[in-house]
Amino acid sequence: MAVTILIPAPLRRFTEDRASVQIEAKTVSEALAKLDELYPGIRERICEPDGRVRRFVSIFVNGKDIRSLQGVETPLADGDEVGIIPAMAGGR
Amino acid sequence: MIRIARKQYEEIVAHARQEAPREACGLLAGHGDRIEQVYPVSNRAELAVEFFAERGLIPPGRDYRPEAPGTIAVERFFMDPEEQFRALRAIEAAGLEHLGSYHSHPATEAYPSRTDIELAAFWPNMLLMICSLADPSQPVIRAFRVADGRVQEELIIVED
Repeated sequence: MAVTILIPAPLRRFTEDRASVQIEAKTVSEALAKLDELYPGIRERICEPDGRVRRFVSIFVNGKDIRSLQGVETPLADGDEVGIIPAMAGGR
Repeated sequence: MIRIARKQYEEIVAHARQEAPREACGLLAGHGDRIEQVYPVSNRAELAVEFFAERGLIPPGRDYRPEAPGTIAVERFFMDPEEQFRALRAIEAAGLEHLGSYHSHPATEAYPSRTDIELAAFWPNMLLMICSLADPSQPVIRAFRVADGRVQEELIIVED
């Protein structure tokens, strides 16, 4: 059950500059845990200590925001693509 | 120094004018120091109130509801996450590099605000282009890079 995790530019310093990482996982939560095993410290950039996704980060499974799916419990199937994107925001 | 073709420069100005008095926002892509494509993204500031509030970026007493008179929502931008993601994928599919973002300051100067500097921390060193419509007949675009709270300006060369 390999899925592809797309790493955004600001987090690639954790992944030796890799833009994508293949991982075996059945849910988004498991994918993030395994990603953190490979690249320690990356998970806390994405999640709060209680496991919720941080407010300024969005995670997509095949282009759909997991907030509109089942959050970090969203199931993953072979070949799924998990995107992680920090917010872009500002103001005057 | 950053290069941009007149067409893309004008696209940013047109987007800023179209969204005013709200802020317009989007992504910039190209190669190296050359911006070749502009990707407009919807501004969803009104859906990101908690995001701004927990960072102390809503001044006391200001109303954030989008329809309220004097609402702070017109002075903030927050890119629609799904559109932002699609645009980043499109940039990759087109064989371009994601160079940065742009947004407008409908009534203030083309310089990063405190909010801009704070929130640039998520994307350090990316190009930050700001289009000011403070003088509606004379739009001004300036470009910056922000890292660790420090702002560095990049000269823009518009190529005809």
